Amino acid sequence: MDFSLIVRSAAFLGAGICMGIGALGPGIGQGFVAGKACEGIARSPENSALLTRTMLLGQAVAESTGIYSLVIALLLIFTTG
Amino acid sequence: MIDSIELVQIAAYLGAAISVSFASLSAGYGEGYTAGLANFALMRQPKTSDQLSRTMLVSQAVTETGAIFSLVISLLLLFGGLDVEGGIVKAAALLAGGIAMGLGSVGPGFGSGYAGGYACSALSRMPTKGNEIMGNMLIGQALSQASSIFALVVALLLLYAIPEFSHLTLNQQIMRSVSYLGAGLCIGFGTFGPGTAIGFVAGKASDMIGRYPRERTTIMRTMFVGAAVTESTAIYSLVIAFLLMYAL
Amino acid sequence: MMSKKTFFRLLLFFIVIQAILSFGIDYKLNIGLHPDTGKFSIWNSEYPMTIQDRIMEEFQPDEYFKAKGVTPTIYGSERLHGFFATFFGEKTLYAFELIRMLIIVNIVLLIIVYLVRKSIALIPTKKQIVFEMMYSFFEDLTRETLGKDKTHFTSYVLTIFIFIWSCNLIGLIPIPGFMEPTRNINVPFGMGILVVGVVHFMSLKHKGLTKYLKGYAEPFLPMAPINVVGELSKGISISFRLFGNVLGGAIILLVISSLVRFIILPVGLNMFFGLFIGTLQAFVFTMLAMSYIAVEIFD
Repeated sequence: MDFSLIVRSAAFLGAGICMGIGALGPGIGQGFVAGKACEGIARSPENSALLTRTMLLGQAVAESTGIYSLVIALLLIFTTG
Repeated sequence: MIDSIELVQIAAYLGAAISVSFASLSAGYGEGYTAGLANFALMRQPKTSDQLSRTMLVSQAVTETGAIFSLVISLLLLFGGLDVEGGIVKAAALLAGGIAMGLGSVGPGFGSGYAGGYACSALSRMPTKGNEIMGNMLIGQALSQASSIFALVVALLLLYAIPEFSHLTLNQQIMRSVSYLGAGLCIGFGTFGPGTAIGFVAGKASDMIGRYPRERTTIMRTMFVGAAVTESTAIYSLVIAFLLMYAL
Repeated sequence: MMSKKTFFRLLLFFIVIQAILSFGIDYKLNIGLHPDTGKFSIWNSEYPMTIQDRIMEEFQPDEYFKAKGVTPTIYGSERLHGFFATFFGEKTLYAFELIRMLIIVNIVLLIIVYLVRKSIALIPTKKQIVFEMMYSFFEDLTRETLGKDKTHFTSYVLTIFIFIWSCNLIGLIPIPGFMEPTRNINVPFGMGILVVGVVHFMSLKHKGLTKYLKGYAEPFLPMAPINVVGELSKGISISFRLFGNVLGGAIILLVISSLVRFIILPVGLNMFFGLFIGTLQAFVFTMLAMSYIAVEIFD
């Protein structure tokens, strides 16, 4: 029996699960950042530029794990088998 | 066994159950959250009962969108005439469609409920700005439900756009079916986080518009940018799901 | 703010246009002289392609033509095909639709520039007011984000916004073959590389070489690879966000309108994904392009 296709199928399942669960954490984290930033801007509107900048920086850092998942999923899809 | 029609039927019925059960879980929680906060708001400001109940009902209707999508998918799985010969690939695609829609509507349900609840509580605090708050709530919920639309599309493609694979060998069939399952799991879990969190953003924004209505434009701008950035991981999941379905 | 009446009129206009076009370019429903009976009638004809074929043709034309062995008909005529083959080379031919749409976007932008420039007066006309409002909005945004001495960045920011915005909106025009250029990964990725390049140039200019290099060893030296990955992820995230949103909207429209047999194109979904998400993503792209620079400058 030829197992290479089975290995490949495991890679595809792995890619799906990797991106799916990997998107869970960054999504929640980024949303939390954005919600708190809305709150902060409402409370002290004179600092809105600083708050927006900090929000985007924090979201970019939170998203990096999502990017890792994306890269790993793409690697699993295109380089195995 | 592996080519039998019973396998496809098992998958279809299982998918239907998964789809509607997960969706009703989150939609029920979300709508209950909205209604609870709306009742609390009514206690604080009994004069605005008309406006409050209208906002609550609209918000609950939007929250239910994901559950209605799931109901459609599960009805299609049960009565759509999909349980035809097709072997293991068809079975896996139907199951994956159910999983995708079921898990995919969990996050938007939670998120929309949160957004609606905080909009109600903001409305009781600032009844004169009711239209602004409701508009903000609807935009936020639409952004949140966009992830359930992604899940719906992936589910529909898995239900209807699967070609015949009966000429392939068993191993190739297994590979195809596992990649469809992967696509369903990917979009299902991937929309959970963004859907919930965009609702959180919209709820906070509505709350703050109720407290500081003068800063409305700035708050809404921040909400748009934050929500769009939050959605990016759902988009990555969508891209990966399409790759798993079509680019092999 | 648009009044309600105008909005509903616009919506009705779009519905009528889409209904007419969905009858005109329909693949399932035909109007005219029936080929068998010769009478004027409305009848259904089988559309030869499955939805999978349609998706493949729309999003991977080269793969589709390779797999089906069909000669591409998107060029219109043989002469045009030959012209493009000699002008751009055989390999880029399959990106013909993308290049055509980019050229159309550029021509539209040039026409707008010409019209606006022509109508500039001391007492502003309507067109002038719209564009001045847009410019002053982005000038305020730039001043707020980058500081008072960096307002000359407004033109860069506004150019990015207007280009991506018109790229996203041109897919709304219901002409067969029209697509958003941002639906192809190459366009957002090119814009992302441009943005990241400008960010690093500004960082180098502002900090100097040693400080710039020191920034990579931020907490301590072994963290350098993670910092490099973080820098790369900026470009990936900014471009994939735009690409995925536009592509997802396009596929959703295709799937839903094929489910209703192309008789009704879903107007509401088209509005949501075309107008709302298109504008929002263009704005987010510009905001991010600006904020990345701001982070480097103010550190």
